Amino acid sequence: MRRIWQSTTGVVAVIGILLALATLAIGATVHELAHEALEEQLDHRIGAETRSLLAEAIRGGTPAVAELIARREAAAAASGLAYLLVDASGQPLAGSLDAAMPAQPGYVEHLRHDRGQREAQALTSRLPDGSRLLVAADRAAIDDTDRAIRQVTAYAFGSLLLLGIAAAWAVGAITRARLHGIDRTALAIIGGDLSQRMPVDGSGSEFDRVSITLNRMLDRIASLLDNLREVSGNVAHDLRTPLTRLTNRLEVARTASEPGLHIDAALAQSRELLDTFAALLRISEVESQAVRRHFALLSLSRLVSEVVEAYRPDFAASGHRLLMAVAPEISVNGDRHLLQQLVANLLDNALRHTPAGTTVRVALEVRGGEAALAIIDDGPGVLPDVLPRLFQRFSTGDSSRSSGGHGLGLALVAAIAVAHHGAVTAQSSAGLSVSVSMPIRSDGDQDR
Amino acid sequence: MQVLLVEDDSETRDFIARGLREAGHQVTVCSTGQAGLIEATGRDFDAIVLDRMLPGIDGLALLRMLRAGGRHAPVLMLTALGSIADRVEGLESGADDYLVKPFAFSELAARLQALTRRPAVRVETHRLVVGDLVVDELRRSVERAGQRIVLQPREFSLLAELMRNPGRIMTRTMLLERVWDFDFDPKTNIVETHLSRLRAKLNDGFEDDPIETVRGAGYRMRIAD
Repeated sequence: MRRIWQSTTGVVAVIGILLALATLAIGATVHELAHEALEEQLDHRIGAETRSLLAEAIRGGTPAVAELIARREAAAAASGLAYLLVDASGQPLAGSLDAAMPAQPGYVEHLRHDRGQREAQALTSRLPDGSRLLVAADRAAIDDTDRAIRQVTAYAFGSLLLLGIAAAWAVGAITRARLHGIDRTALAIIGGDLSQRMPVDGSGSEFDRVSITLNRMLDRIASLLDNLREVSGNVAHDLRTPLTRLTNRLEVARTASEPGLHIDAALAQSRELLDTFAALLRISEVESQAVRRHFALLSLSRLVSEVVEAYRPDFAASGHRLLMAVAPEISVNGDRHLLQQLVANLLDNALRHTPAGTTVRVALEVRGGEAALAIIDDGPGVLPDVLPRLFQRFSTGDSSRSSGGHGLGLALVAAIAVAHHGAVTAQSSAGLSVSVSMPIRSDGDQDR
Repeated sequence: MQVLLVEDDSETRDFIARGLREAGHQVTVCSTGQAGLIEATGRDFDAIVLDRMLPGIDGLALLRMLRAGGRHAPVLMLTALGSIADRVEGLESGADDYLVKPFAFSELAARLQALTRRPAVRVETHRLVVGDLVVDELRRSVERAGQRIVLQPREFSLLAELMRNPGRIMTRTMLLERVWDFDFDPKTNIVETHLSRLRAKLNDGFEDDPIETVRGAGYRMRIAD
């Protein structure tokens, strides 16, 4: 089921409703406080008036009060107060207030007057001679204020509610529209058009930022795909030549007087092709990084020494000098066979691509917290334009390919280094220098 | 020798079966895991050549069931290219050796032979004797006709490996795996150069070479006929 309250529309709508309810609560509070304050004010006024009339009664007796009331009523209706003075028997003495005299002295909140049509707040007091005085103030002011507050609150509540609903609809519509653009592009990409990019309007909004990030991701994927396409192109190209040679050999063998020789050559050629495939598959496998599952702590120092020692007779036989400087006890987390192959490929490379008399130095040390392996020769080096492509598939230093090798050895070295969270770089000034770095590990390290 | 061959690809199956029959073995062929399992549990074979990828029950599952069922015939597992993880899994599941396709038939034959015939009886547990050669694995010493020969560590390991399998062909890749622990094939001549040094030291002052080169296959320790 779709959870509407988790959609943008829902979230904004909920916020709108909460805001409206908060307004309602504020209105109710203001109403209550204002109401109380006004009532208190009225009480205060009638209290003060009553006190001054009582003082008059003490000074001049009840008749003086009656006179004062008459004067007050004649003078100013504006004061908003109304009076009623009755004697002990209940006969009215003064005042025009049209209301029943309450039996008990004290404050009355709601006193009906004006033929019972209006309400007043009133204070009843007893005068020394037993007559009673009623001072009242009409509640119309309070009621008006209350009504005004209620009205404002109702308007505010209503408009906020409407505003919330409108905002929810608008935000939802805008979000949907923006996301629809992204969605449509994504669908087009799923459909196969990787040239599509997410719409960016330059507003710097969060949608734009997401679109820009997505576009960067798409650029990266596109460049990886291009790379892949180039690689498969190279593979096809590089395999066509030996396959053609193989076919030719077999064609010749069909009619040759001694087919055995040609078949042997064809066999050798097909083995070479299979080697190339094996190397390609190995690179893919290492690049897939599934190999990391089998990583274990191992001594890189010992591993490098062993591989170098294995190659020493070969170097001696071909007239190369092999020097080794391996710092002891450098450990890494890795795959023994892959790291052996990394070192072996680098040595193969040095041996194969340099002339007799070349000195090859192998150095392993800790540099900047990383294991740094360097294989440096003083041979002819490689051309500067070859250097950046040295670790790509099928890029051999010498374009003639005369010195053999399928141009995959260094690509595998790079893949193995990356699988070990490391990197490989090459420099060519006098001779070629290849450096591999990878994080070192000690026994205490926790598995990642 | 009774060999069971379980392989689904008909060309590979015929290629291996023909080679094994030419070498004088009796070969039972199966093209599916189910058929292979029935055959393998039905009777004892001297060796089983098992493809890793099979329709239905795959090679690994078959091997596990077989081992769980108490069958201990040596198994040579065949796998497709580029499967470092497969190799580990295969050996963990109880395979005795592992061969990556494509392979030369001589490689398969050599490995199968190494699997099936247990090493020759030793005079003492740490002494290997073939002809006039004596290798003491404990003291890491070598004597030929009573004459002490000093070898480099790798040369010693190489000789010991050949001595442990007298009369049997050891291929280049088998030696790389067992002596150097390399599971890849370096493009250089590591095996050849070490062997020629080893031979030079062993044969210094002798007429005959105890190590025979089998063309296109590998090397073999000569044993007296």
